[in-house]
Amino acid sequence: MTLLTEVIEKLGTTETWVEQGGVHWLTLEAMSIRALAAAMNTLHARFITITAYQLPKDEGLRLEYHWDLNGELLGFVFKLAANSIESIFDLCEAADWIEREIYEEYSVNIAGREYEPLLLRQGDIAGVNLREVKL
Amino acid sequence: MSYKIPMGPYHPALEEPYKLDLICEGETVLDSKLHIGFNFRGIEHLAETRNYIQVVALMERVCGICSNIHTLTLCQAMEGLTNQTPPPRALYIRTIMAELERLHSHVLWAGIAAKLMGFKTMFMTCFELREKVMDVLQAISGNRVNYSMNRIGGVNRDISDPAAILKMVEALEAEMGRTVIPIFTTSRTARSRCAGIGVLTTEKAVSLGVVGPVARASGVGQDLRKAAPYAAYAEMEFDVPVQTAGDVTARLLVRALEIMESCKILRQALSKLPPGEVNTGEEKFRFTTGTAISRAEAPRGEVLYSVSWREGSRNPARVHVRTPTFVVMPAIRWMVKGARLADTPLIQASIDPCYSCTDR
Repeated sequence: MTLLTEVIEKLGTTETWVEQGGVHWLTLEAMSIRALAAAMNTLHARFITITAYQLPKDEGLRLEYHWDLNGELLGFVFKLAANSIESIFDLCEAADWIEREIYEEYSVNIAGREYEPLLLRQGDIAGVNLREVKL
Repeated sequence: MSYKIPMGPYHPALEEPYKLDLICEGETVLDSKLHIGFNFRGIEHLAETRNYIQVVALMERVCGICSNIHTLTLCQAMEGLTNQTPPPRALYIRTIMAELERLHSHVLWAGIAAKLMGFKTMFMTCFELREKVMDVLQAISGNRVNYSMNRIGGVNRDISDPAAILKMVEALEAEMGRTVIPIFTTSRTARSRCAGIGVLTTEKAVSLGVVGPVARASGVGQDLRKAAPYAAYAEMEFDVPVQTAGDVTARLLVRALEIMESCKILRQALSKLPPGEVNTGEEKFRFTTGTAISRAEAPRGEVLYSVSWREGSRNPARVHVRTPTFVVMPAIRWMVKGARLADTPLIQASIDPCYSCTDR
């Protein structure tokens, strides 16, 4: 069994991997990010980062979570409808700073955790750095 | 009774601004809190306002030490979106530049570590050696900090006389083998100042997802040059030094051994440099809609670029950079726990932090 099939089996999904732009992508419609993070822990995958991407028009934001599994780069896409997603900080310590950064740069509510400012200075407003806001 | 000592944002032990609030009891550090963001320049946002040529020059300025690896990783990602394959000679030149940069970064770090140990003569020796590495970089690229070597589809400059560069590298290797390596690996001053301090256990290193020499000094043997080879690394023979103690000595040893491995890679790459073009020769590029991600092993560990583009646009829709120090720096909190206050400057320097990279 290859590593990628092992991941699919562990996640219990019928979705298939799409290899594109140097990443093995998997879109998980029915799985929560916390369930994914827990599964990645059991596979001993290394958390790398989260990339936030603002979709055109008013489609909201897309978060791409990345893990490394024996040199393979895995990417999982989550579209945020309500501008909020659950934190995985308690499951994955390495996600601490990037969750804080995404909150500060895009004003995304990372629910279920407390956090202190990371890049923001006193008086700054969350979301002003990278989020495009129509005035 | 515990008390708080703020270290930074401007402090003699720090090369760049960041802040470490140390909670101490007597001379012992109980806990600490890190504050970053003093170098925040909004580079990821700026990248969205630059075209595909300008964005390379911009990202070269994320870091003043590992500037080359940033453009290499960015160009690799953009090559994925433009369907460009650099010629073999370009891949070798990228490998040579990346290893020279690792050499200069590690020797720079060794100098700063020596200074913090109170070993001033070693600081001078390291900086003299670093100058020689920078002379090699200048001989190749014409520049000493921002080399402007990488472009979409290859590199901008050729190495016209690899034998001359090889000679310079051999002289460097001999000098490092004669001074830096034996002193750092056997000197009692270095050992007594570094052994057993700033320990990061393997379990904590895995949990925090640390990368690069810090991970390898804590027994986590991952290195992208081996695990996911890019440029010409698949054709190079080298070892990945790993130590298990997780203390400052282990980090010192890993970097010292990596200096020798870099010289080994440089010798191979320069002697096997394939003939041919150094880039695809294309000047105008058509990007496809999508996201491409590229990773490379920077001197401080894995750097990741996620580049998104919309077809027809000259500017990227998003450039996200995950630098190595961004994931290594939180480990300082665990390294200084229980340490003597006087050891904290050396402990925090032992991760070879790059604050500009972290803040972007």
